[in-house]
Amino acid sequence: MPSEIGQIAWRHKSVIDIEGWTEEELYFLLDQARHMENVMDRPIKKVPVLRGKMCVNLFFENSTRTRVSFELAEKMLSADVVNWSVSGSSTAKGETMRDTAWTLEAMGADIVVMRHGAVGAPQYLASKLKRAIVLNAGDGTHAHPTQALLDMYTAWKHLGRLKGKKIALVGDVLHSRVARSDVIGFKTLGCDVVLSGPPTMMPREVNELGCGYERDARKAVEEADMVYLLRIQRERQQDGLFPSVDEYHRWWGADEELLKLAKPGALVMHPGPINRGVEIASEVADGPQSVILEQVRSGVAIRMALLYLCGGGAR
Amino acid sequence: MKTLFSGFKIFDGEKFVNEDSLLVENGKVAKIGSGLKCEGAEVIDGGGKILTPGFIDLHAHFRDPGYEWNEDLTSGAKAGAAGGFTTLVAMPNTKPAICDPALIEYVLSHGKAAGASRILPAGCVSKDRKGVEMAELRKMAEAGAVFFTDDGSPVATSDLLRLALLYAGKDLPRIMEHPEETSLCKNGQVHEGRVSAMSGLKGMPAASEEIDVARGIALARETEGRIHFTHVSCAGALGLIRQAKKEGLSVTCDTTFHHLTLNENAVISSGYNSRFKVNPPLRSIDDQAALWEGLQDGTVDAIVTDHAPWHMDDKDEPFQEAPFGIASLECAVAVLLDYRTRKYPDIPLELLFAKMTSSPASLLPEEWQQLGRLKEGAVADITIIDEDRTRIVDCSQWNSKARCCPWEGTALTGWPVATYIDGRKIWQDEEEA
Amino acid sequence: MAELKEKTKLMNAQDLSRVIRRIANEIVERNKGTEDMILVGIHRRGVYIARRIQKMIEETEGVKVPCGELDITLYRDDLTTLFEQPMVHSTRIPQDISGKKIYLVDDVIYTGRTVRAALEALVDLGRPSCVQLAVIIDRGHRELPIHADFCGKNVPTSKSEVVEVRMQEVDGKDEVVICERNAE
Repeated sequence: MPSEIGQIAWRHKSVIDIEGWTEEELYFLLDQARHMENVMDRPIKKVPVLRGKMCVNLFFENSTRTRVSFELAEKMLSADVVNWSVSGSSTAKGETMRDTAWTLEAMGADIVVMRHGAVGAPQYLASKLKRAIVLNAGDGTHAHPTQALLDMYTAWKHLGRLKGKKIALVGDVLHSRVARSDVIGFKTLGCDVVLSGPPTMMPREVNELGCGYERDARKAVEEADMVYLLRIQRERQQDGLFPSVDEYHRWWGADEELLKLAKPGALVMHPGPINRGVEIASEVADGPQSVILEQVRSGVAIRMALLYLCGGGAR
Repeated sequence: MKTLFSGFKIFDGEKFVNEDSLLVENGKVAKIGSGLKCEGAEVIDGGGKILTPGFIDLHAHFRDPGYEWNEDLTSGAKAGAAGGFTTLVAMPNTKPAICDPALIEYVLSHGKAAGASRILPAGCVSKDRKGVEMAELRKMAEAGAVFFTDDGSPVATSDLLRLALLYAGKDLPRIMEHPEETSLCKNGQVHEGRVSAMSGLKGMPAASEEIDVARGIALARETEGRIHFTHVSCAGALGLIRQAKKEGLSVTCDTTFHHLTLNENAVISSGYNSRFKVNPPLRSIDDQAALWEGLQDGTVDAIVTDHAPWHMDDKDEPFQEAPFGIASLECAVAVLLDYRTRKYPDIPLELLFAKMTSSPASLLPEEWQQLGRLKEGAVADITIIDEDRTRIVDCSQWNSKARCCPWEGTALTGWPVATYIDGRKIWQDEEEA
Repeated sequence: MAELKEKTKLMNAQDLSRVIRRIANEIVERNKGTEDMILVGIHRRGVYIARRIQKMIEETEGVKVPCGELDITLYRDDLTTLFEQPMVHSTRIPQDISGKKIYLVDDVIYTGRTVRAALEALVDLGRPSCVQLAVIIDRGHRELPIHADFCGKNVPTSKSEVVEVRMQEVDGKDEVVICERNAE
């Protein structure tokens, strides 16, 4: 079956966010992820593409899932992997990020996968590194490009080309890097993107994100092809942003009643880990429309494709 | 000692005069005339350059005492001179905070010892800048304080601000208020608007500045005191100040060189470079335009640097982790002149110069109000500007210890090339020699 | 930018068809039938050639032998010299290759590096009982000890030449040409 997508010149090395990526580039990456997913099904789940390359997973924030996903992707491409976890900010540790950058160069790192609590941190690190590239695994509340890419990949596998399809993102958009990246990605693919959630958890200038805001989750989800639930952190309740988990769940949580308002067969998505009974009811999370577990698998494939396209090759 | 400045476009603090020569004798302006000659005087040939009263910066941080690796009174005074400023008001949020006459004298004497720009100390409104008890305002005024401010923070309680306004009345130096409602700005990083929506950085709403300005105006009205709002950055606050002035209240304000020439988009276009992180934050394009309107209609009384120096080690961090502040003494004037040429060429230079000379001078205590004007008998504080000089901003050559700023590497046109205080040259651009 | 100028036409559509038919017959002959064999075409044109072989075997033997496609991009030994990563195509073999006789099919064999990569890929997919190679053109200049078991035509070439096997499915017509690289 000939691929409808042709070779394009891949211009990205470090990936901080997907702002400015073209629709063509996104579909090219999704297509390549498809072939990477094939590798995951083989008896020997390894290809030698990144042999001899060193990947450093530099995680300043705890995250087992994302880190393991990257690690699996890196190992399947035969890269050498170093996991470097830093708890607390670099200043608390006493080492500035500039010094961390130079240590990485000295170690011979080729690819740095970085997650950090401060917006702009991976960009900062990329500006200090001369050789290695940086892949952003999440910076503060700003961006989580690989999450958005795997979300688009999962949706594409089920729904095909996404132009004109509707996606409703429900939850704490204000503090969500996943939401920001998904908005950019799905809009680039031509989707109708609608945000919903309590007004205290939306950016004031929501129109700057280029999509609509519908306070009523039921209206937001109407005729949607994809319903995407964002994680609610319980600390936000302590900050007073919403009065109780129960009130949140009744008005913005995804239960079967809410799902009925979407298109029949609409995909239910979530970046994980899920808070059962808060943003999503168990019946929906475990139900036939949920692709939440598939998203996890997609994550490895997308990260493999990204590592191959950005991290391989000559310098 | 006689110096004759000949062949200059002379700005006297209010307007450009017809005369082109100025004679300085014993540190004072002896005469302003056309084609003056003088026996035995050192002649400085202007070649059409601009000569103004030395620029006055009402708001600069020197971190001395307590944080001297970032800046000290000597490096700060030299930086000011190299930026065309002959008088600088030093902010008191040091360690210890400047809240007693001994520390006022410290600032005065160390500033003088630098042998460069004149440094005038500001004192805190509250003891140790804690915002609880009023400091010894009268003693500090007697020792030489020119403003009272808890800058870095607003005066902590309305009660304390009211007491300070009453106590200072109309005969003590003015209260300079940093207008911010702190509970709205907790952990804030940028302006609440376009950039915070797109980047996820926590926003500081403009309403915070408006609320504190409204508070200050209400108290100034009630106490008949004099209040000055510093680094005003948003349209809403300007509107309130404009109204208060119409009403005849003693309300004044300043804005910064960077708020006039940058807006929030710079945060994103620079890739979240921490050089653009400042409090109050760079605001929207509309707020920026409102500041220029405020300059033209007299709402804004002065332009200040709010020079906030940080050593590269501290400032060069990811955006969210870096401290707030822009260090700009050595390029602020050029940034403004260059910006005006490009964006507002119809605004007369006199307007901008006035807001850096006679207008800020009028807000200082009486003994200093003669600064900022050039007329016979005035103190010979002079700044020479070459409108056509183009230079690239190179922070590595700065006198200031804070070797980074948002304009690093940019070519700007319109630079100060020499500064004099009391008729004595304190700085000259190497190329001028 | 080097330009390719067509120099010689080696085969027309009919010639190519005869060559493929001969190769198909030789494969079946050497395999002693169609048992336990899998045709595997190497992307890109090898895939189409393999399918034609499959069709011809079906015509003569009445059996549709399994035919798969193999993409060797991830196994290339020259990736670290390229600035732009080449696109990955699909690898799909309809059966487990372990214990089977694999007939790799490609259009041209030159340095032998593509075939080496294909062997490495196959080894990761299973343990075939043997692997043989069928090509339309062998143009010499081997850099590795690799040979073609079935060959359409031996064509000595110089390194400045390029051999193109053009196919209806990809290029719109069937022919084999030699082109000269004109360095501008």
